[in-house]
Amino acid sequence: MDVAGLARLQFAVTGSLHFLFVVLTLGLAPLVAIMHTRYAITGNPLLERMTRFWGQIYVINYALGILTGLVMEFQFGLSWSGLSHYAGDVFGAPLALETLLAFFLESTFLGLWIFGWHRLPRRLHVACIWLVTLTAYTSALFIMVANSFLQHPVGAAEEGGRLVLRDFGALFTNPTLVFALPHVLGAGLLAGGFVVMGASAYHLFRRTQEREFFTRSLRIGVLTALAGSLITVAFGYAQFGPVGDVQPGKFEGLIPGVSLGLMILIGELIQFTVMLVLAPLLIRDLLARWHWLHPFLMAMTPLPFAAAIFGWLVREVGRQPWLVYGKLSVADALTPGLTRADVIASFAGFAGVLGLLAVVDYALIARAVRRGPGQVALGGADLPLAAEPVPAHSL
Amino acid sequence: MEIFWLLTFAVLLAGYFALEGFDIGLGVLLPVLGRSPAARDRLVGAMAPFVLANEVWLVALAGVLFGAFPVLEGRALSRLYPLVVALLLAWIVRDAGLWFRRRAGASWRPVWEGALTVGSAGLALAWGAILMAVVRGLPASPFDLPGLAAGAALLALLAWHGRTFAAWRLQDGPRRGGRALLLSACAAAVPAAVVMVIVAGHMLANAAPDQTLTVLSVMVVPVAPILVGAQVWVWRTFSKGALPTFF
Ligand code: HEM
Repeated sequence: MDVAGLARLQFAVTGSLHFLFVVLTLGLAPLVAIMHTRYAITGNPLLERMTRFWGQIYVINYALGILTGLVMEFQFGLSWSGLSHYAGDVFGAPLALETLLAFFLESTFLGLWIFGWHRLPRRLHVACIWLVTLTAYTSALFIMVANSFLQHPVGAAEEGGRLVLRDFGALFTNPTLVFALPHVLGAGLLAGGFVVMGASAYHLFRRTQEREFFTRSLRIGVLTALAGSLITVAFGYAQFGPVGDVQPGKFEGLIPGVSLGLMILIGELIQFTVMLVLAPLLIRDLLARWHWLHPFLMAMTPLPFAAAIFGWLVREVGRQPWLVYGKLSVADALTPGLTRADVIASFAGFAGVLGLLAVVDYALIARAVRRGPGQVALGGADLPLAAEPVPAHSL
Repeated sequence: MEIFWLLTFAVLLAGYFALEGFDIGLGVLLPVLGRSPAARDRLVGAMAPFVLANEVWLVALAGVLFGAFPVLEGRALSRLYPLVVALLLAWIVRDAGLWFRRRAGASWRPVWEGALTVGSAGLALAWGAILMAVVRGLPASPFDLPGLAAGAALLALLAWHGRTFAAWRLQDGPRRGGRALLLSACAAAVPAAVVMVIVAGHMLANAAPDQTLTVLSVMVVPVAPILVGAQVWVWRTFSKGALPTFF
C-alpha cells in the first residue's frame, strides 16, 4: 500500500473507533440527563440509582471518545496538510468552533458533573449534565458541518489556488448536512437505546435482585430505540435526494454499495423488530417477563454500531477520490514528504494503543453492567481531607 | 483581528502549561509522593476534578491553530510529525491511566498507575522537545540532544509545579501556599511564553484572512464569558474540602 493509502487507512481506523464511542455518547447523554432531572424533581431513590448506574456507563464510554477524539483533532495537520493549505480558511472554522464552543465546555461541565456529587447544589448539578448534552450535540453539529463541506463545498470560492470563505451561513444549510445530521443523531439514540436494552435484558435474564430497576430501564431502552429508529430510517431515505443531486453515482463502487445495503438491511430489521415486536411487548411488562427473549436482546446490542460504521463507509468511501468533493483529491492533500515509515509507525502506535484501550473500555463497560447498580463508583463517598494528613513539608 | 487571535492562542498555550502542567507534574511524581495506595488515591483525588477542565486548553489550542492559522497548522504539525505522534500517544496513555485506575479490579491498579506516570513523563518530554524544535525553526530531526535536554528541563519544572499544587490542595487547616502555587504556575508557563514571543511575527504573517477571523470572532467572543465562567466554577468547587474518588 502506498503512503496515501496507509494514511487513509489510519484515518479510517481511528475515525471508526472514535465514532463507535461518540455514537453511544450522543445516545446516552440525554437519557442520563432526563433520569437526573426526574430524580432531582421527585427525590425518588430509584431514579438516583438509575442516574448513577447509567451515568457511569456513559462516563466509561466517554473516556474512549476523548482519547480517540484527540487523535482525530491532530490528524488533519499530521497527514493531510494539503487540506489545511487549500481549504483551511473555510474548513478550519467549524473545527475551531467545535473545540471552543462545544468540546471545551463539554469536558469542563462533565468534570463538574462527575466530581460534583455531594458538592454542587442539586439544580446546578442537573444543569451540568444538560450542558454536557447540549454541548455534545453542538459538537456533532460542527463536525457534521465540517464533514458536509468536504462532501459538497458550499459557501467558498477559489482564489489564487486556495478556498476562501464567502458565506458562512451556507455551511449550515448544506444539502449534505440537513438530513445527515438528524440521521446521525437518530443513530445515537438507537445505539443508546440498544445498550440500555441489552444491559437490562442481561440482569432480567439472570434474575438478579434489580428487577424493578431493569424493568423500568428496559422500557426506557425500547422507547429510545423506537424514537431513534424512526428518526434514523426517515432521514436515511431522505438523504438519497441531496446525495443524488450533488454526488451522483456515489453508491456505485463495491464498498459504498455493499455497505449501503448492509446499513439499510440492519436499519429495516431494527425498525421492524422494535416497532412490531418489542414496543408492543412493553404492555404489561411482557418483554421484561419473557426471559427467553432476553438473549436476543443482548445479541442485538452491536447492530446499531455496525450500521453506523457501514454508514460512514458509504459516506466517506463514496466520496473518493476526492477529499474536498470535485476540488481537492485525497492524493493532493497528503502531507508532502511524508514517508511510509512515518505513517506505518504512527498507524501502528495509534491503532495498537487505541484498539487495545477500546477493548479494555468495552470490557470495563461490561464489568460495570455485570456488577449492577449496587456497586457504582460514580457519586460515591469522598475521601476526607484530614484522614491521613500529608504535611506539606513531607512532600 | 490577527492580533486578537494571536493573543488568544498565546493565552491558551500559556494557560495550558500553567494548569495542565500540575497534572502532568503530579502524574510524574505519583510513585515518589504516593508511597502507599491510600496516598496515591489522595494525590489523584486532588488533581482529578481539574484534569478534564485543564487538558481541554490544548484541544482548544489545536482548534484555534486550525481555524485562525490553518497554513501553519499543516506546516508545523507535519514537520513535527514524530514528536506530535509521541505527544498524542503519551496523552492517551496518561488519560487511560486516570480513567481506568479505579474501574478495573484492584490487581490492575499498578498497571494503570504506571500508565499515568509514564504517560505524564512522556507528555513533558515531548512538549519540551516540541517547544525546542519550534524555537530552532522546525529542524528535520527534532529528536536530538537539545530536544531531549529541553524535555528533561520541562519535566523538572512541571514536577515542581505538581508538587506545589499537591502541597496546596492537600493541606488541612488554614490555607497556605497559594502564592507558591501561583509562582510555580507562572514559571510553568514561561517556556511557552518565550516561544510565543519568538514566533509571534511569523504567526501574524500567516493568519487566516479577515473574513474567516471575523466569523470566528463573532461566534466565539459572545460565548467567551461562559468558557471563563466554567473554568472559574471548577476552581471554586474543587479547590478545597474532601477529595472526590471517581478517578
Ligand atoms: C433504512 C435504513 C437506512 C437508510 C435508508 C440509510 C441511508 C443512508 C444514506 C443514504 C447514507 C449516505 C449519505 C451520504 O453518503 O452522504 C447514510 C449514512 C449514514 N448512516 Fe444510514 N441509513 C439507514 C440506517 C442506518 C442505521 C440503522 C444507522 C446506525 C444506527 C445508520 C448510520 C449512518 C451513518 C453514521 C451514516 C454516515 C453519516 C451520514 O451520512 O449521516 N444508518 N445512511
